[in-house]
This record gives sequence, C-alpha cells and structure tokens, in this order.
Amino acid sequence: MFNTVLIANRGEIALRIVRTCRELGIRSVIVHSTADRDSAAVRLADQAIQIGPSPAKLSYLNAAAIVEAAVQAEADAIHPGYGFLSEDPDFAEICASHGITFIGPPPAVMARLSDKAEAREVMVAAGLPVLPGSPTALSTLTEAQEVADAIGYPVMLKAAAGGGGKGMQVVRDRRDLPRAYRDCRATAQSAFGDGRVYLERYLETARHVEIQVLCDLYGNAVHLGERDCSVQRRHQKLVEETPAPELPPGLAARMGEAAVRAAIAVGYSGVGTFEFLVDPEGEAYFMEINCRIQVEHPVTEMVTGIDLIREQILVAGGRPLSLRQEDIQPRGAAIECRINAEDPDRDFRPTPGVIEEFVPPGGAFVRVDSHCYPGWRVTPDYDSLLGKVVVWAPDREQAIARMDRALAECRVSGPGVATTAGFLRDILLNPLFASGKHSTSLVDQMNLDAPAAG
Amino acid sequence: MSGERSKEAGDERSNDVQDVLDAVMRLRAESRNESGRRPSRLRVESGDAAVELEWWNGDRPGAPAAVRPPTTTAAAAEPQPASASAESNAPVQPETGQSHVKSPMVGTFYHAPSPEDPPFVKVGDVVSPGQQVGIVEAMKLMNPIEADQAGRVVEVLVPNASLVEYDQPLIALVPVDET
Repeated sequence: MFNTVLIANRGEIALRIVRTCRELGIRSVIVHSTADRDSAAVRLADQAIQIGPSPAKLSYLNAAAIVEAAVQAEADAIHPGYGFLSEDPDFAEICASHGITFIGPPPAVMARLSDKAEAREVMVAAGLPVLPGSPTALSTLTEAQEVADAIGYPVMLKAAAGGGGKGMQVVRDRRDLPRAYRDCRATAQSAFGDGRVYLERYLETARHVEIQVLCDLYGNAVHLGERDCSVQRRHQKLVEETPAPELPPGLAARMGEAAVRAAIAVGYSGVGTFEFLVDPEGEAYFMEINCRIQVEHPVTEMVTGIDLIREQILVAGGRPLSLRQEDIQPRGAAIECRINAEDPDRDFRPTPGVIEEFVPPGGAFVRVDSHCYPGWRVTPDYDSLLGKVVVWAPDREQAIARMDRALAECRVSGPGVATTAGFLRDILLNPLFASGKHSTSLVDQMNLDAPAAG
Repeated sequence: MSGERSKEAGDERSNDVQDVLDAVMRLRAESRNESGRRPSRLRVESGDAAVELEWWNGDRPGAPAAVRPPTTTAAAAEPQPASASAESNAPVQPETGQSHVKSPMVGTFYHAPSPEDPPFVKVGDVVSPGQQVGIVEAMKLMNPIEADQAGRVVEVLVPNASLVEYDQPLIALVPVDET
C-alpha cells in the first residue's frame, strides 16, 4: 500500500481525500496555487507544496509542476480528484514514467473512453444499448446530414473529446444542421483542441441515471447502484439522489449488471461512472463513462456505507476487491445538493468574494463536504462549488424534508457572495420533483413558470 | 528580541554555536574600529556552524546611525512545520528597500552550477539585472534563476539543494547606489 499520496486538486474534494488518507494511515501531500495557500486541505494535509499562481493552467493543470512536487515529496501515488487532470491520459502516462501510481484507470483505457465517439463504439461492442447515432466521429457535413436523416430529428451534436456540456447543440430542423455542425466543430476545436464531433438522437424528455462501478486490477468488478442526476442547469448537475425514483422495476439492476460487464470488457480499474439517459418508456441508453471519482459520490456512500475514496485508493494500491456484489445492499435514500457561489436572481452569475459567515447545517444524517470557513476567499479562478450538503433518510420523502431543513439552516454570506441554497429549496418543493417524475428539463420549466425577475 | 534569542541560543545550543557567536561578537567589535563601516546584518546557522555578515557603506543614505544589535537566526536548527508554505512565502525580515528573487517553479534550488563550483552569488555580491544567481531543477531540467533587478545580495534564503515552492523567495537583495 502507499506510504504517501499526493493530491492534485483543491476545494472540497481535496479535503475529502486528505481525510480518507488520514484514516488509512497514508501521508497526504497537497499541491496548491497561490490562491489556495490558506485552504482547509492545505491546513489539514501532512505536507503542502505551492506549485503555481492562481490560473489553473499554471497550477492545477501544470503536470510538470505536480509531478516534480510528487517526486520531491516522495509520493507513491497521485490522486487527481475530479476535473483538472483527472481524466488526462497523458498525465497518467507521465506519472507512470516517474514510477508514481496514477489513482485512476490505466492510461490506455482512459484514452479510449475519454473520446466519447470511441467510448460509444466500445460500449456497443460490449453490449450496452446506445441512442441511434453516428457509429463513429463524423468526417463531413454530408455524412452528418445522412446520419441525421436516417435517425430522425431532433438530434444532438457533441464534441468527441468534450465534457461539461461544451459544444453540445440540439438540432430540431434539417435546415439548422449546417450551422450547428460548424458551431459544434469550432467549439470543440477551441475548447478541447479536437474538432471531431458526433451525433445522436436527442431525447426531449429523459432522466439522467448513472451507475457507480468499482473494479480492481485483476478483473473483478462490482456496481454500487445508481444515482439520479436529472436536476441540471445547462448540463451542470445541481441535485443528485439515490435510488433513482420512479424507474421501471428491475431497470437499475439491469443497468448495473450491464455496466459491470462493460467495465470488465474494457479492462477498467478503479472507480468509474456509466452515464445513461432513460427515456419516458423506461429504455436506458448509454451516454458516456466518467473515469474518475464524481462530485456526487457521497449519495452512494450514504446508502451503501462504503467509503469510495478508500476503496479507490486500495484498488489502485493493488488490493483485490474486498466487496462482492451481494455485500452491497443499499439502504434508504440519500440526496445531495451542491451549494454554489452563484446568484440565482442574476442568471446564476458567479459571486466571488470573502465568506464572512459560514454556518453549515447539522443534525442527524446530515453530511457537509465543504472546504469553506469564515474568512475564506472564493476566487473567480475556479469553479463555484462551495460545498455539498448530503442527507440520508429511510425513504425519499423524509430525505427531502431533511434536506429542506438542512438547507434552511445553512448560512453562507459575505460582501457580494450569493449562494444557490434558496434555489435548491425551490427545487425540493417543486411538485414534479417531489413526485419523482421530473426530467432533465425541470430547471428550465421552473424558470419558465417563475415570474421574470426584471 | 534578537538579544534574547542569542542568549537563549547560548544557553541551550552546543558549544559550536557559542563559538560562532563569540566570533561574531569579535568581528563586530573589530568593525567598530573601522570608521564608517558597520555591520548591518548577520546570519548564523547552527547546522554547519556558518556565519554571514553584511556591512553597510558608511555614507549610504538611510543607513542606521547606531550599530544595530546583531540579528541571529537559528532557522536551520529547527524543523520546519509540515505545511509551512504560507509562512515560507512571507517576506523574511522586512527591511527598507529589500526585494527578493523568487522561484518561478517548484523544484530543487542549487547555489552553484555543480557541487565542485563556487556559488553563483555570495552575500555582499552586487548583481545586475539578468545575472544568474542560482538554478532550480525541475523535471530533470536545470532552469537558470536570474536577478530581475540590480542589488546587493544580503541573504541567500534557501539552503543549497533543498525543495523550493512556486514564488518562494530565494535571495534577498537591497538596492545599490549608482554613484
């Protein structure tokens, strides 16, 4: 097992990983930018190394500086968290060439799966259902038109190398395809340095349901159930929960089994998430694989009692899986709300500033993963996530009530700082959400229903 | 404050340090006899029993009129706290006009081109902009560290061959009179 793990991330996830390292008796080393020199993770870690200035490109995305710090700190492994370099096969290769374990899937597997067009092909071969679409990345507009005509409109164009919703274009009419094709290619080229795009049928009404898998280095794999992440705004998840409400009986279990088969087929290792869309008829279609720990992993931890970061570190260190599928028995319901430094009244504009008051919620079965404290400065350099409030309850109804109570307790304020906590309560109280019959268009529907803010 | 610290050091530390301090006091007494040249700064390390002294030019504007009490530091004798990055980035002993050559990256700081060579700069040297003052090795690459302005070296802040972080002060400079 590792003696020293370097954490190449920041914010709540860096703190989350430091904590599990401490519990495992592993020395933790955090790398940080100048903006994060007073961060909670820096304070808690066994060692901290400043690697660059605020811009992520020069610090958290600076592979050379991170690996140099790992060598200096004699780290055996690097935990990349989520975002930044977590799904960068080149970074994983650099780690390997320095004798440092990258805590994630093998670089070659990651390279195949991070290309969404190729991941689609691989998953079709592994027997996962996918939405009708282009079998490979598109080469020409003519090809795009032929595929779109064959599967029928509306269609969605996506960047093959994409992520975070960047470049996605919904096309409802054949006449709009040429412009959307050009736009998507241009965005893909500028955002990801790779202009390849692909196309698939667009579901107007769908649920986003994902399966958590855990695989060791020896071909053993389990799934830890599903998460519903349908509450999204511009493809950014706001609320996640497990179990997914109102799914057809047996669907989640079938998706879990399929994900495990596919993970084994591609030689996956570590933690990973298979994302699916579920249409109103209850059919699930594979979308993509996230080759990292995800923001919303705590809801799975709450119902299974399994520390996913711990399992992730242990399998990366060569331990065979200690869990069998039958050991994983989810209990009750868990919900996570992401508290962001954004102003819902001003089109979710980021609100950087100094947090003066920080009172996280408490009480039974409430977990708060946050790096914030009074005096912490939220800088515009990074994402706006302030923390995650996670609750557990025996059933969904109680979990919603508990989350509403917790969000009402949560007080985060400072000059110019606004949070999404109030907006999240609106979601919880929405009848469609409460009934569990919502889709990914819930937030858009809520904004249409709400009177214009002027 | 510094008087107290040197007393503590005399009481608690090894004879080596006491010897060094004795030598420092001797030097200081001797320097008093040279008109216009007074020690302005000194650094004592107990690890390898090193002492560094800096003299002001007597006619330097703003130079202290009276002899300052000697400043001793025993940093090398005390283990650094694990996550001391914020502290190590704080300016060391604020002094009028002092500036720092900082590390542009995380790596290993070297004083000299090789273990056999003399250091690029010593305390008391005057450096010009663009002059190499050290090396930071990162990813097996030797990155020359250059002074970005002219100045006199008053302190080399980081021991040879040790870890430096991004933006960490390496060398302290004070302005030099043009005349």
